[in-house]
Amino acid sequence: MGFLDALLGGKKKLAGVAPDRLFAMTTAYVALETELSIKSAGSAGIVFQPLATSDFAQILKDAEELLHGTAQEQDSTLETADDEFGYRWLVLRDPDFEDLVVSLNTIATELQGGGYGDRLLAAVFAFEENGRRLYFIYNFKRGSFYPFVPAPGNQQRDNEREMRLKAQVEKELPIEPDMARWFPLWQIPL
Amino acid sequence: MATQKTSFGRDTGLQIRMLATMFFLGLLYVAFVGVLFAAGAGAITMVVVIGALTLAQIFLSDKLALRSMGAKEVSPEQAPGLHAMIERLCIQADLPKPRIAVADTDVPNAFAMGRSQKNAIVCATTGIMSRLSPAELEGVMAHELTHVKNRDVMIMTIVSFFASVASMIMQFAFFFGGDSDEGSPPVILILAVSFAVYALSFFLMLALSRYREFSADRGAALITGRPSALSSALMKISGAMERIPSRDLRQAEELNAFFIVPARAKGALRTLFATHPPMEKRIERLNELEAQLQRSGSAIAA
Repeated sequence: MGFLDALLGGKKKLAGVAPDRLFAMTTAYVALETELSIKSAGSAGIVFQPLATSDFAQILKDAEELLHGTAQEQDSTLETADDEFGYRWLVLRDPDFEDLVVSLNTIATELQGGGYGDRLLAAVFAFEENGRRLYFIYNFKRGSFYPFVPAPGNQQRDNEREMRLKAQVEKELPIEPDMARWFPLWQIPL
Repeated sequence: MATQKTSFGRDTGLQIRMLATMFFLGLLYVAFVGVLFAAGAGAITMVVVIGALTLAQIFLSDKLALRSMGAKEVSPEQAPGLHAMIERLCIQADLPKPRIAVADTDVPNAFAMGRSQKNAIVCATTGIMSRLSPAELEGVMAHELTHVKNRDVMIMTIVSFFASVASMIMQFAFFFGGDSDEGSPPVILILAVSFAVYALSFFLMLALSRYREFSADRGAALITGRPSALSSALMKISGAMERIPSRDLRQAEELNAFFIVPARAKGALRTLFATHPPMEKRIERLNELEAQLQRSGSAIAA
């Protein structure tokens, strides 16, 4: 945010969607799977603020129908979940990781096309390592990924594992450099 | 996407008024500095001293404000819900996470402090957290985060710098005694100028503060996408929820005869002295935003 924006009381819109780097996850997954034996949990989701306008509901419905159409061919499922913070999750389940990335991108593109790209909060990919859940979160505003590893206990996270994950995949994946922006997402319905 | 479509338009009028206010403040201060220089060494010393005080204020204000409110910083373990809510708002607003504090008082209030985005702290009272629904609280916290994003604390502190100089001169007029025989303006003139600067800057600063409140409301609507949640929160906080009557119309009819419209002082004077815009105005603006949002929606669908 520039000097003038600060002087005039802020930008008049939210940061838009950063250049799309969602697909970097596809190549990174190859490295995760082969080198680190971290497997996809077969699910990924997109989380956004649902707006109470008629066309938003319509755009969402269109996106869902589009996905349902392809879902049947690809042997994948789509669920909707509202969390306690008032955000909506579209959860995709598909054994094929590449399909997950493509489907998430479809939803994001639909919402952006409808002018609601600034409502997108994050895309989340779920992984498993020795029965333990790991997540990679894609921040649409910043166009970067960061690892998120919940630890047992109330809102605890395993920072050590997260930082090791960063070191392990930063060649393939654009990782958020500012660790203050590694915002957790609790109660991920994946 | 080169041109991103957004749900809300710009508020150019507000920006112009803000800019004009800042211009007049600047003009006023430049003239004031001129007079101070003419007054000689004593005045310069005073500017330096108050400059140091302002710096101290910039660095200490957050701690002072927290202490005066009896607020304590809370960890994610102590207030998981509040932390999680603010984290999501920060992703949405593209801000680093501020520190979070809670003040144990029943007064419904919230504020943001700190000189920069990295040093920011937002505080909510237990009163506001218990009264508001999650969506309403989210609106209020988004309003405070917008203050952080717009660097309002810094801007208002800087702007108040010369107003403090003027008020100090009025209090310590004796600093200027003595050397008025060397062709510098007499003490009484400096006093008069200081008084004028103080009075004028006082009202200009209040105006600026009100404009920035409008900006923060707007920013909150932008971040949450729910202008009506914030206006509902404002209504609850101001105790104005009664304006949406919950009483059955048939029952109210019988009581109507006893209602008296309260005679209030004319609004203009009250408005001039307020740091915040009147609640009705803020709610009105938020309603306009909601209308814009709904309209832009149907326009896209059409």
